[in-house]
Amino acid sequence: MNIVSVLFVGVGGDGIITASNIVAQACMLAGYDVKKSEIHGMSQRGGSVSASVRFGDKVYSPTDKLGSVKYMLATEKIEMLRWVRYLNRGSVVVVNDRIVPIIGQTIDEDRIDNMVEQVQTKTLVKRKFLVDSEKLGNPRLSNTIMLGVLSNFLEIDEKYFHDAIDLILPEKLRTINQSAFSYGKNLIYDNTSGE
Amino acid sequence: MGLKIIKKILSGNQAISIGAYKGNARFASGYPGTPSSEILEHFKNYPNVIAQWAPNEKAGLEAALGASIAGVRSFATMKHVGLNVAADPLMTASYTGVNAGFVVVSADDPGMHSSQNEQDNRRYAKFAKVPLIEPSDPYEAMAFMQYAFVVSEKFDTPVILRSTTRISHSLGVVQFDPRTLDNEKELSLAKDFKKYVMIPANAIERHRVVIDRLAKLKEFSNQTPINKLEKGKTDFGIVTSSMAYNYVKELIPDANIFKVGFSYPMPGDKIREFAKDLNRVIVVEELEPFMEEELKIAGIEVEGKKYFPENGEFNLDIVEEGLKKAGVIRERATTVYFDGFELPKRPPALCPGCPHRPIFDILHSRKDVFITGDIGCYTLGCLPPLSAMHTTVCMGASISMGVGASKVQKEDKVVAIIGDSTFFHTGIQPLIDARINGANLTVIILDNRITAMTGGQPDPGSGFTLKGEEVNPIRIYELAKAIGIERVFEIDQYDYKATKELINREIDTDALSVIIPTRPCVLAPKRIKDRPLVVIPDKCVGCKRCLRIACPAIDFKNNKAIIDEFLCTGCEVCKNVCPVEGAIVHKEEK
Repeated sequence: MNIVSVLFVGVGGDGIITASNIVAQACMLAGYDVKKSEIHGMSQRGGSVSASVRFGDKVYSPTDKLGSVKYMLATEKIEMLRWVRYLNRGSVVVVNDRIVPIIGQTIDEDRIDNMVEQVQTKTLVKRKFLVDSEKLGNPRLSNTIMLGVLSNFLEIDEKYFHDAIDLILPEKLRTINQSAFSYGKNLIYDNTSGE
Repeated sequence: MGLKIIKKILSGNQAISIGAYKGNARFASGYPGTPSSEILEHFKNYPNVIAQWAPNEKAGLEAALGASIAGVRSFATMKHVGLNVAADPLMTASYTGVNAGFVVVSADDPGMHSSQNEQDNRRYAKFAKVPLIEPSDPYEAMAFMQYAFVVSEKFDTPVILRSTTRISHSLGVVQFDPRTLDNEKELSLAKDFKKYVMIPANAIERHRVVIDRLAKLKEFSNQTPINKLEKGKTDFGIVTSSMAYNYVKELIPDANIFKVGFSYPMPGDKIREFAKDLNRVIVVEELEPFMEEELKIAGIEVEGKKYFPENGEFNLDIVEEGLKKAGVIRERATTVYFDGFELPKRPPALCPGCPHRPIFDILHSRKDVFITGDIGCYTLGCLPPLSAMHTTVCMGASISMGVGASKVQKEDKVVAIIGDSTFFHTGIQPLIDARINGANLTVIILDNRITAMTGGQPDPGSGFTLKGEEVNPIRIYELAKAIGIERVFEIDQYDYKATKELINREIDTDALSVIIPTRPCVLAPKRIKDRPLVVIPDKCVGCKRCLRIACPAIDFKNNKAIIDEFLCTGCEVCKNVCPVEGAIVHKEEK
């Protein structure tokens, strides 16, 4: 099979590394070869961060080619827009409908939303996942809910995601993240925006 | 009992630590530096190993060399620029050779994700006449690290294992047998005057040994299985190594590839053989034309850097573009479907509550100072709106450059700013320089008692070690006093007013002074979060003074400042700079 890419983008501290580790683990459990790339260091201090998970029969490069990313999970809208050159018409994008302020910049959210609308991919799920997260009783579940949404499109059996969550997350966070994942998985059926 | 094979997703750095353990390394030292830091953090968890942070890479490399001569396989880890600091012992360790296997891990940073330059440390292997091994993914990182110890003992030489950011911080599936290699022979402490005491008489002899060894290594490079031909169908051939190999494999799966894993000395004979039936041979390597030059010296006709950049990190698109320029692929497969947008950049920033913030806010208000900076989180103080740093060169350079700048001109007062870990690394001798040569300098040592930028590794002032053992910390105050500096002050920089008075007073005093702000890092060893602050909208006059401290927790909407209470740690720097009494207050406790 051809290599499939899942690109995670966001802001340092957003949990990009953990979310991408869960997907990479699920891919391996599903029997694929997988490579993942991430950048630590300076970017952790609130800068733009990205991580890429690529899976298939045999994967060499851990990073993507322009226009080749099939799936994107963006924890923030500006960061989603920063990486659009990697997307194509067939891409599936799940983006958290939020903006993280940038020091020294005044951001016009309408202008950003307008740009997001210009990104006409096959599927684009833009939603305030923080609201969902708070509904589940913890403001830090947005990424796992988004993973649940994304899992509907990925050719990876759901059970591998659940196993991956158990393997990657510390014990006290497992149950709540399993529920958050299932919540996201079911969410897509009443949110088909962009399809 | 059946053989247990472990299958895991590992980062290159985790894999290097596993390879070291499997290679029977039992001593490791180094200094944290992106992208190398996690190697020792993983290695320390193995049973019966000694793993420790040294104050700098030179001390780390020397400690590992000492362990090797004492009969224990050992290694030292560092980022590329760290090997500059450790170059002194490396050059002569090449002469002494080793007793037990000894490996120097250099993690380079093409693209400068977190570095001040992107030097290619493969050059050090040639400079020091030692073998160079380059893995291309986490599996090889593990296997080659183990192998490096064997090579080191077989040829009585230090070995450089070179990783890059994209290898150290990429993850891949690794299957391995967790058993460790046995040492081939029992080793004990070696006392060998002619081999390990590098006085000229002995070193003259040893240099001959090194030259003979290099000839043998050249032969070995043609035999080792990690230099290998991957037969393809193309009429051209590609010589490649490290991360670049992966890009070539993905872009031209059926290419004739010579994959180099042992890249110094280069396997000249084997590549000459490889080139024989091919129309042309193209070298695809990140950064310097290192292999290209070696092959050309060997009289092999190759092309390389005329198609590929010598700067920056490679990726699929850059390599594809180069291969197209070289004419070995016709068209680029890439299509860009969505043009990029004009977007505000999101540079990294000091964390909310970071104790460095008030210092830079105070320095920013002085227009008559020249500020020599250093390497650490606090380098971010150079960015607007704090904009309070005029030089950053390398670890420890702040104080010494400040010495020079303060000696030759009087118009601007000179302030040197350095973190505690960087001070212990290479700041102490410059401070001695300042004292003994009578520099009129204000040295600010930001003592957050951790190596913060690289993820919170302990330093000599932290009070604990890499393995988490408690230790009596070294106090910078006492050290500065012991050097004989009279004006040494500790201050809690969250007392903004007192800190500002002290800094201004010392800048305006014609003497060497050392100011040590003592607030700990907000992230490590533990997260610090006090009661958050809020802006009272009716009192906020919209002057934006609080925005000038560059705090990620402060935003500005509808002409008023607002504070994100999830991000705010309650440090009160904004409250201290706010001109309106009572506009910023602590959130009421519920």
